[in-house]
Amino acid sequence: MAQSTTLQHPAASATHDAPRTGNWDGGNEPFKASYGKLMMWFFLLSDAFTFAAFLTTYGMIRHKHEVFTGEAKDFFFSTRWWPIPDHVFNAFPGMGEANVPLGFVALMTMILILSSVTMVLAVEAGHRMDKADVQKWLLWTILFGATFLCSQAWEWSHFIHGHAEPTIMADGTKFFGANLSMNQYGPVLFADLFFFITGFHGTHVFSGVCLLVWCFIATTNGTFEKRGHYEMIEKIGLYWHFVDLVWVFVFTFFYLV
Amino acid sequence: MASHATTEHTLAPGEIAKPNTGWIWKTFGVLVAITAIEFVFVFLMHPSTLRNSIFIVLTILKAFFIVAEFMHLKHETKGLIWTILVPVALLIWLLVALITEGSFIGEVLQSMFK
Repeated sequence: MAQSTTLQHPAASATHDAPRTGNWDGGNEPFKASYGKLMMWFFLLSDAFTFAAFLTTYGMIRHKHEVFTGEAKDFFFSTRWWPIPDHVFNAFPGMGEANVPLGFVALMTMILILSSVTMVLAVEAGHRMDKADVQKWLLWTILFGATFLCSQAWEWSHFIHGHAEPTIMADGTKFFGANLSMNQYGPVLFADLFFFITGFHGTHVFSGVCLLVWCFIATTNGTFEKRGHYEMIEKIGLYWHFVDLVWVFVFTFFYLV
Repeated sequence: MASHATTEHTLAPGEIAKPNTGWIWKTFGVLVAITAIEFVFVFLMHPSTLRNSIFIVLTILKAFFIVAEFMHLKHETKGLIWTILVPVALLIWLLVALITEGSFIGEVLQSMFK
C-alpha cells in the first residue's frame, strides 16, 4: 500500500465512517444480500456437504448389507441383515417396554419443527423492531431446542442400554444395547452410523441453542436495538432452520426408510 | 423481506407494527401435514422401493418449504438461489451414485461365498 494512513480509532475520523459506495471497495452487495447473510448461506452449504457425506455413507453401507426379506412381524435382530427401524426405535419415555414404533421420534420431529416456527416468529418480530416479541419467541425457541436435546439424550441412553430382549451371542452370552464395536440390533456399522449422524446433528442443535442464548442476552441488553436492526437474529435463524432441515433428512433416511 | 412486509403505514416513533404471521403458521401446517402423511405410509404400507420413493419425495417437499419460506430463499435473488441449489443437486447425484455402488458391492460380496 502506497498510502500511509496512521491507524486511529474509526470514530476519530469521519471519512472512515462514511459509507463506501464504489463497486469495488465494498459498496456492492452481491445477490442483494448482506455480507453476513451471504457468508451464513455459504457456511450452511459447506455444512450440507458434511451431512451429505454422512448420509451418502449411510446409504452406501446400508445397501451393501442384506435386507430382511420375511414378514415384518417375524423380524428379529441379527448381524446378518440391516435392522428395520420401527423395531429398534419403538420405546417411549415412561412407558417401559410398550411397543410404540417411531412414536418418540415423531414427537422429537414435532418439537424441532415447532422450534423452527418460533424462530421465524422471532425473525419477523425483529423486522418490526419489537424487542419484547423477539425475546418471547427466542425463549420459546431455546426451550424447544433444549427439549429436543434432552429427548435425544434419552434416545441415546435407551439405544445404548438396549431392549429387554437381548441378542444371544454365538457363545451363549446375552448382549444388550449398543456400543461402537458391538450392538444387539444388527451389523456393527448400524450403531456406529447412528452415533455419528445423530450425534453430529445433536452437536449442531447444541451450538444453535448456545447461539440463541447469546442472541437472547444481546436482545435483552438492547444491542440490536442500538444497532438499528435485528439481522443477527436472521443469521442465527438461518442456521437454526438448517439444523431443522438436516433433521428432516436424518428422520427420513434413518427412521422411515 | 419485501414480500412479507406488513402493510406500510407511517409509524409514529416508538410505535410497533402489527405482527404478520399468517404465512408462518400456514407453512407450519403444511410441514405437520406432510409429516403426518409420512407416518400414515409407515404403518399402512409394506416396505418397498415405492414406499421409499414416496418418503424421499415427501422429504424433498418438506425441505422445499423450510428452505423457501423459513430460510427465505424463495425471496432472494435468482443468483443466490442457483448458487445454493446447483451444489446441492450435485450432492444428490453423488448420493444416488454411491447407493447404487453400495448395492453392487453387496451383491458381489454376498455371491462370493455361495
